[in-house]
Amino acid sequence: MNAALRLTALPAVAFALVVGVAGVQVAAGGGDFRPLQPADACDERPGTTSQAEGIEGLTEQLVLRGVDAAACTLGVSREALTLELAQQDEPTDAQVDALRDGLRTAVGEMADDGVLPPSSSLVDEVLDGAAINRFLAAGIRALPDSVVDDALPTEDVLLRAIDELDVRAVLSDLDDADALREEVEPAVKQAVRDELLDRLRNLV
Amino acid sequence: MHRLVGLLLTVTVGLVLADSAIVTLALPEMLQELDASVAQVAWVLISYNLVLGALAVPAALRRVRAHPRALAAVGIAVFAGASAWCAAAPTIEVLIAARCVQALGGAFALVGALELLVARMGEQRGVAAWVTAGVVGTAAGPVAGGLLTEAISWQAIFIAQVPFAALAVPAALAVREPVPADGPAEDPDTAHRPVVGHNVTLGLLSAALTAALFLLVLLLVEGWRHSPAMAALTVSVIPVAALVAQPLARWLQPPPDVEVAVGCLLVAGGLVGLALPPSADLIWTVAPQALVGLGLGLSVDQLTYRAMEGRRPRARHAAWTISSRHLGVVVGLAILTPVFTADLLDAEEPATEAIASLVLDAPLQPQDKIELAQALGAELTGQRGQVPELSGAFASLEVAPEDRAAVDDLERDLDDQLDRAVSLAFRDSYLVGAGLALAAMLTVGAGAVVRTVRDRPRTGVAR
Repeated sequence: MNAALRLTALPAVAFALVVGVAGVQVAAGGGDFRPLQPADACDERPGTTSQAEGIEGLTEQLVLRGVDAAACTLGVSREALTLELAQQDEPTDAQVDALRDGLRTAVGEMADDGVLPPSSSLVDEVLDGAAINRFLAAGIRALPDSVVDDALPTEDVLLRAIDELDVRAVLSDLDDADALREEVEPAVKQAVRDELLDRLRNLV
Repeated sequence: MHRLVGLLLTVTVGLVLADSAIVTLALPEMLQELDASVAQVAWVLISYNLVLGALAVPAALRRVRAHPRALAAVGIAVFAGASAWCAAAPTIEVLIAARCVQALGGAFALVGALELLVARMGEQRGVAAWVTAGVVGTAAGPVAGGLLTEAISWQAIFIAQVPFAALAVPAALAVREPVPADGPAEDPDTAHRPVVGHNVTLGLLSAALTAALFLLVLLLVEGWRHSPAMAALTVSVIPVAALVAQPLARWLQPPPDVEVAVGCLLVAGGLVGLALPPSADLIWTVAPQALVGLGLGLSVDQLTYRAMEGRRPRARHAAWTISSRHLGVVVGLAILTPVFTADLLDAEEPATEAIASLVLDAPLQPQDKIELAQALGAELTGQRGQVPELSGAFASLEVAPEDRAAVDDLERDLDDQLDRAVSLAFRDSYLVGAGLALAAMLTVGAGAVVRTVRDRPRTGVAR
């Protein structure tokens, strides 16, 4: 083997091996093997993959969209806000305000997207869970859907319910389904009552 | 008998140098069994390298006054006794103390064994056996330690060394041949100066190799949660590739400096490859490890030979190479450990956010998500400071049968996120290791330039 070949053969083989190995690793995605980056909370997110139906499904979608909007307001990711809320003893005033505004924004967005269900589709579920006189419940069930939908537009009821909601209490009861129901039900009932009274006042 | 003595002494050299990294795969088990902190467990590794690196040269100076047969026998006996003590250590403090004594015996054993191997096999073959045993021991240490830990326990690593070392004591005493004289340089005042360049390169390269021999096994066992046996099998690529390096070098016949520089380049390239795995699949570590192994095989023995070549006293120059290698390992640990521990800590946030993102979007019932999020939070908090095991959170989750597939998918996705976070946390350390290997390569180039200038014939300038 001549001197030039002795000088260059091994470096050439080594260089080819190094470039080959690093090239294959990078081409297969080596540079991108990192944890999922949280999306910008202000960007539109594809629809949620909620498996729940009825009020629970609606609530989940509202909460996910609402947290997104709140995170956008606070300038953090949806994930960072969720973790902060889970790890703090008490949410800050700014977080509570942002969450309430976020939920309101979420209702508006869902209404614009046409994904808010008519209130008539939720009546049976509400009546099943409510401690209400069974004759009154039967009477309400007998009402035509159009009457219920006109009397209780879902968007308006939800906005009222959000205003009634004690966000701090809801956050502290997230892990207790019964306590959560006790927080949410009065707010929804109050919202329904206020909405009906408003409608009646307008009629008079 | 003649061959058995040589073999036992060679195995002892391999064992002493393998001990530099042999406990790497056993560290998690030691951490648990001895109820130690991560910093304490790291000292099991550091103390041995530090003492061996610091005592090799003084041990070689003793050799000038003591007979190598006695020096080797005493050193090997101390090494064997301390190995047994390591296995019986009830606390981490005792284990660290025993490791220091083990390294003390090892330093004398290495220096004495070199002289006895030269006496038995002649200068060239004796030095070659000593150097090769060191390279194979260094590369195979983590593999042997991992297999023994998995098959038996971490104590087995130390117990397994005792019979070999115990047999090597009479073997050392049985060497009757006179040790070839070191010549006039036997007098310390007239001895050759240590070869600074090669030893510095050796130190830098050893620091870089720490990233492959120490961090990789940590990533495989602690990060990607493989068993020590699987990790040991995986890192066996390095010693196998190191053995392939020699035939390759003989075939291509490069000049020695080129061979060493290429070795450094291959180690650097392998570490860059390890820094960029496309997934946590073990297959992606094979080719980078092969580069590291080839680089180790091309460079470490060549550098050791050249640092000792024609220099007297032989034992003292051998001791300088041992010092360079083991203090290099200590420097490597000192540089790399804070980098990857800080990066691991930093990785907690993106990993937790990625987990939160997947749970929020999981196709599960809202109440199941809340329950799972709470269980995951408890697991993450309870296991803070280490790579968490999330299966406990999933084990306690009761879901409808139709949601089971979604839960399994989610668990797999969350584990993938942990793998990604841990791999990313190790990236900087591997790249620092690659930088150290490139620095070693530059010292080869600088050394070659210095030698060229020094050896150039001086000529007068005619006017």
